[in-house]
Amino acid sequence: MKYDRRGSWYLLTGAVLGIALGLFYSWVISPVEYVDAPPYALREDFKDEYRALVAAAYLYSNDLLRAVDRLAQLKDDETAQSLAIQAQRALSEGRPEAEVRALGILAMAIGEGMPPIEPSIAPTQGIGTPLQVSSDTPTPVLNQPASSLEVPLLATSTLTAIVPVPQPTNTVQPTSTAKSTPTQGAAFVLKETRLLCNPNQSQPLIQVVVQDAAEQPVPSIEIRVTWDGGEDQFFTGLKPELGLGYADFLMIPEIVYSLMLIDGGNSVSDLTAAECQSEDGSRYWGSWLLTFIQP
Amino acid sequence: MSRWSKFLIAVILGAAAGLFYGWVVNPVEYVDIAPESLREDYKTDYVLMVGEAFQVDRDIGLAVRRLALLGSSAPSDIVANALNYALQHDYASQDLSLLQLLGEALLSWNPNLEMPAP
Repeated sequence: MKYDRRGSWYLLTGAVLGIALGLFYSWVISPVEYVDAPPYALREDFKDEYRALVAAAYLYSNDLLRAVDRLAQLKDDETAQSLAIQAQRALSEGRPEAEVRALGILAMAIGEGMPPIEPSIAPTQGIGTPLQVSSDTPTPVLNQPASSLEVPLLATSTLTAIVPVPQPTNTVQPTSTAKSTPTQGAAFVLKETRLLCNPNQSQPLIQVVVQDAAEQPVPSIEIRVTWDGGEDQFFTGLKPELGLGYADFLMIPEIVYSLMLIDGGNSVSDLTAAECQSEDGSRYWGSWLLTFIQP
Repeated sequence: MSRWSKFLIAVILGAAAGLFYGWVVNPVEYVDIAPESLREDYKTDYVLMVGEAFQVDRDIGLAVRRLALLGSSAPSDIVANALNYALQHDYASQDLSLLQLLGEALLSWNPNLEMPAP
C-alpha cells in the first residue's frame, strides 16, 4: 500500500497563496475608493486652500459659528493657531494680502473667545440653513443674462424653478475689497522702546505691541521693517496667544533695521540686535519691545 | 475529496480572508485626497464658500481657480450641481442666492480673457 507522507502542508500553501491573491486584489487591483471623503482627509495643501476659503467666506458672512463649524471639519487641534500659522506662512510666501488678512481676521475672531465646537457628524444639508420649499424637487435654472456665451448650466427637467436673487440679508454687506478696520482716529505714536532680556527667548526679536487710546490691543496693523537691501511686512494679531496687538520679527545680528506702522505714526530707526548678560556672565540676545499707542 | 480540490478550497478561503482584510479590516487609506473626492454636501459647501468669497473680492478668475479644485467639469456645471443639491436639501435662500449669483457671474466669464496667476 502506498502511503503519502506529504501531510497537510499543501493546505497551508493554498491558504497563503489565496491570502496573497486576496490582498493583491484588494490593495492593488481594486482598492477601496473614497469618493465621499470628509475635509479632514484632504492633502495638506488643499487644507490650506480650504482654510483660506473659509476665511474669505467669513469676510462676507461675518458668521463665526459657520466658519468655526467649517474649520472643525478639518479636525485641526488648534483652529485659531492653525489659521495664524497659515497666515504667517502665507505672508512669508508672498500670498495675496487679502488672503493673509482674511486668515488673520478669522484667527483673531476665533481667538477672541469662540468656544470650540464639534464637527457636524453628517452635514447632509451642508452647513447652510434649511429653507422650507415645496415637496417637489425643482431643478434650478440660473437666470441667463444677455450674453453671447452659451453655457448650458443644468440638466433639463420638466419642472423648473427660478431662484430669486434678493440681496443677501447677512449681517455684513461686503465691500469690494476685504479690509479690516482695526482702528479709527489718530496715528499711533511710539510710547516706549525697551530691551527685554529673557534667557528663555534667546533669539533677537523686534516685538511690537499696538494699543488704541483705551490701551486695548489693536489687531491687523501692518508693520513694515526695512534694512539695507531689503524689507518685510508683518501684522499684529497673528499670534493671538501672545495678544491681539502683538507682532514680532526676527532680527539678524549686525543688521540695522527701521520700523514703521503702515497706517501712520512715527518710525523707529537704528534697531540692531542687542546682547543681554545673565547672572553667570553668559551672554544671549535680547529683544526690543516697541509699544505704539494711539494718543 | 482529492488533494487538488482541498488545495483549491484552501486557496479560495485564503483569498476570502485576504479580501476581507484588505477591504474591511485594513483597507487602503487615502489621507491626501483632493477636493474633488469630497462628499457631495461638502462639495456644495465648498462652492457656497466660493460664492461668498466672490461677493467680497469680485474676482471671477479666482473663483474659477477655486472651483477647479473640485474636478475637471466646467465651473458652471460645478455650480449648477451645487445649486441642485442645495435646492434638494433646503438650503437657506441667502445661500441659494449666492450660488445663483456665482453661476450668473460664470456665464459672463471668458476663459480666454483670464490672465495667468502670477
